[in-house]
Amino acid sequence: MCDTGRIHQEIEEGISRVMDQGASYADVRFHPEDVSESLVMYDGNLENNETLQQSGLGVRVLWGGAWGFAASSDLCRIGECFARSLANARTAASLVALPLDMGRMSPHRSAFASPVEIDPFSVPVGERVGLLRRMDEQISEDWIQRRIVAAATQKKTVQFWNSEGTFVEKKLTNVFGTIMIMAADKDGQMQRRSHDLYTRGSGTRGWEMIADDELFGGHAQRVKRELADLLPAEALDHGRRSVILLPGQAWLQVHETIGHPLELDRILGYELSYAGGSLVTPNDIGTLRYGSEKLNVSSFGGIANSPGSFGFDDDGTPERDYMLIDKGILVNVLSSRAMVNEVNEVAGRQVVRESGGAARASSFYRAPLERMTNVNIVPGDDGTLEDIVASTEDGIIVDTPTSWSIGSNREHFHFGCEIAWEVKNGRRTRVLRNPTYQGHTVEFYNSLDAVGDASTWRVHQVENCGKGEPNQIMQLGHGVPVIRFQNVESGEKE
Amino acid sequence: MLDTHTREVLTGVIDDARHKGIQASLLLHRERSHLLRIGNSSVSLNTSESLTRLKARVVDGRREATHTYLGELGTDDARETLEAAVAKVREAPERDFEPILEHVDETVIQEDQYDPALAELDGTSKAAGYARIMREIGPSVTYSGAWSSGATETYLLSTASEAEAYHRCTDQQFSVVLKHPAAEWELRTDDTGWRVLDFSAERSIAEIRRLLPVYESRDGIKIEPGQYTVLFGAQALAEILGMALWTGLYGRMYEEKQGWTAHHKEGDRVFGANISITDDPEDANTFRYGFDLGGMRRGRYPLLEHGRIAGFMYDIETAAKYKRPLTGHTTQTMSVVMDGGDGAADPLAAVADRARVLWIPALHYMNVPSRAKGLFTGSSRFSAVVVERGRIVAPLFSSRVTESFENVFNNLSVLSREQISVNLSDTYGQRAPVAWSVPSYAVADGIHITDTADSF
Ligand SMILES: [Zn+2]
Repeated sequence: MCDTGRIHQEIEEGISRVMDQGASYADVRFHPEDVSESLVMYDGNLENNETLQQSGLGVRVLWGGAWGFAASSDLCRIGECFARSLANARTAASLVALPLDMGRMSPHRSAFASPVEIDPFSVPVGERVGLLRRMDEQISEDWIQRRIVAAATQKKTVQFWNSEGTFVEKKLTNVFGTIMIMAADKDGQMQRRSHDLYTRGSGTRGWEMIADDELFGGHAQRVKRELADLLPAEALDHGRRSVILLPGQAWLQVHETIGHPLELDRILGYELSYAGGSLVTPNDIGTLRYGSEKLNVSSFGGIANSPGSFGFDDDGTPERDYMLIDKGILVNVLSSRAMVNEVNEVAGRQVVRESGGAARASSFYRAPLERMTNVNIVPGDDGTLEDIVASTEDGIIVDTPTSWSIGSNREHFHFGCEIAWEVKNGRRTRVLRNPTYQGHTVEFYNSLDAVGDASTWRVHQVENCGKGEPNQIMQLGHGVPVIRFQNVESGEKE
Repeated sequence: MLDTHTREVLTGVIDDARHKGIQASLLLHRERSHLLRIGNSSVSLNTSESLTRLKARVVDGRREATHTYLGELGTDDARETLEAAVAKVREAPERDFEPILEHVDETVIQEDQYDPALAELDGTSKAAGYARIMREIGPSVTYSGAWSSGATETYLLSTASEAEAYHRCTDQQFSVVLKHPAAEWELRTDDTGWRVLDFSAERSIAEIRRLLPVYESRDGIKIEPGQYTVLFGAQALAEILGMALWTGLYGRMYEEKQGWTAHHKEGDRVFGANISITDDPEDANTFRYGFDLGGMRRGRYPLLEHGRIAGFMYDIETAAKYKRPLTGHTTQTMSVVMDGGDGAADPLAAVADRARVLWIPALHYMNVPSRAKGLFTGSSRFSAVVVERGRIVAPLFSSRVTESFENVFNNLSVLSREQISVNLSDTYGQRAPVAWSVPSYAVADGIHITDTADSF
């Protein structure tokens, strides 16, 4: 292993060298420590007992308005990594229509640490497995055919340097948890019901979170009851009706049809060969009626306890708290430093004032991209879930995704959920299985007619949002209340 | 073969483990990857990654643990990786079944899909390739794309056997996407293979020129939801097949009655008699792996024969849990081959007698709303067109297909006689080249289009 002092020195020298060679900007992310662990108890057996420990560095160089990136897990060859990144940027600069510009940011030396009471890796393995075992016992019943309890923990230190003199050290911790049970329904088709560890947005995010019954373990009995209700249930008929999304489903609706389409790289067309474009154009920023007056969407949202809260992004920009959609009007997007200039140029006016602090890379060996932080629906004034149900004539309540398929510009979508409850004349009547619903994004959000109050709001943790080439898996959060939409196509035609 | 130093380090660690009575395997994955991305007719990213991963798995009776290390790999690092797994296994609870330890059946050294020229392919040649396409097609559209290439080494050792398994390959995946700035349609072409020569700018240019006139002269069409005859392109076909196999023939899904084959057994007819599918690691249209990550020698393995289930795929965990024989499917990198039929090589000729057909080359963002019913959904994207009497009449706006696997594969009236290699690799985590061989198109009757947009 090469020593840390020498690594730091070589990084600083490398940055100076590429700047001397004509680069306009350079940055480095070094991960001295990056550990993740996955424990999966499947039918009472610890089937996944995996740890991944990684370290290395990634070097990004802007030369002639084009990016080069190189990464290596070999810390004895840091100089080579700089040389390759610079060479890559020079090649890229041979084919550039609109040169990229990082804008200006004052240098700063900063640090961030996720709020943690108990470092998950300090808890003995036996104790971590013990928690899974106790959860498994709670969901174990003769009639339940499959039981899954999973805990995933991550801890990493990221050191960031850039050519402007900024240095940031982040210590990030994540804890994820899931319980899932399955049983065959009256037609012999497997149904499932699950619960993911969530947060209230505040508090700490160490191992204490998964040990908190209110957030995780206390849901076991509810999940069992709801699976039992699903087995004899009828399937949802095809038709148009009100659809009430619980936070367990609303997060993915927001993720796929607000979060992804508001990523500035998608808007500008940089994801067309893979993830797709966006229904939003640069000119829509500030003008597009994305949804009804009840739709208020924030980025970050002051949420301290979330995988989408990280202090400083991978451009070194401090986390920013701002509105994306204000009373239904699109007012901002998810952005990084290098895209701000370009979007304003394309729009012919200033539509984005500054980076939204959304440049994120999944690991040292990937380059940062526009990613979600926490993309949230601000709680409304339509009361509790029961208040919203009481004012619903004909509808369904749905929870927890089983399937999601979205148009390439995020203009339309189709979701499948684990469970639905029928609502008739202001009352929940019965459970329905195999619920699906589909719609067109802008029309759908314009039919938003009820937004639950703060009592219905929770932060859903996302462990595995995929994007980019080479592919990157990212962790983020969504603070969402209960939300209701009118006249939604739901169920499948037989 | 693996470089001598690394080989000595790893064999040393595994020999030591054997002497100490530890049951362990070591899996090395080393990649040198390069990717050049195009966005808005510019290089938006030009990236190189050099990564070495070592995964140690330890089995102790009914206990199991793994530890993976990604970093600079010296003798101490390899030893510490194994020690970390040994420490973990001591604290692991016992299962109610015995895990299977990797067993390298026989020494395999496979390097037949390794092209040194592709391993060295850099951004300069890639940028030149894109520049040429842009020059020839012209500036009326914006260009996007990605060109990924790399060299991957996989090396597996286990205390359970003296043999060693080594695989080295190169792979590339090229795509170019054209978007019209005003009309907003998107066209795409692809190339894949393990040789540097598998990319051809001429082929891409010819393919684009074939479709461009229709897109430039006709507005997009929005169709009404309903049932249509659909001409699925190879990419769409491979993706539907991938989800069908995962939810239907993957041993775990089957044993646990989760998927659409839950109430079937081997020998049952589930698809039309014209459907035969094999995992064939000898097929040259695929990236070939002669062993799986459990150390098993991989051979030809029929999955469906004339529409009948011929075999399920078991990985090492599922085989252990359900006490089934291993089938060589502890792998991401299968070589699925779907047999073709006698359809004309030209798909338009194959549908010359049909009044109206939707030609959907690829499906975007597929998912499975019901595994039990085998119901999938996804929407058309890239180069989709409406064909009438064998002639392309207009580009097709984004249209959603929601259909069951059984409906699709029981209603394929024409299968192309030509096989195409479809690259299904992803780079989540580590480089793992995957390509399947499927007919270049298939005509499916009575396919449900459940939603349509008025944009591409
Ligand atoms: Zn996502």
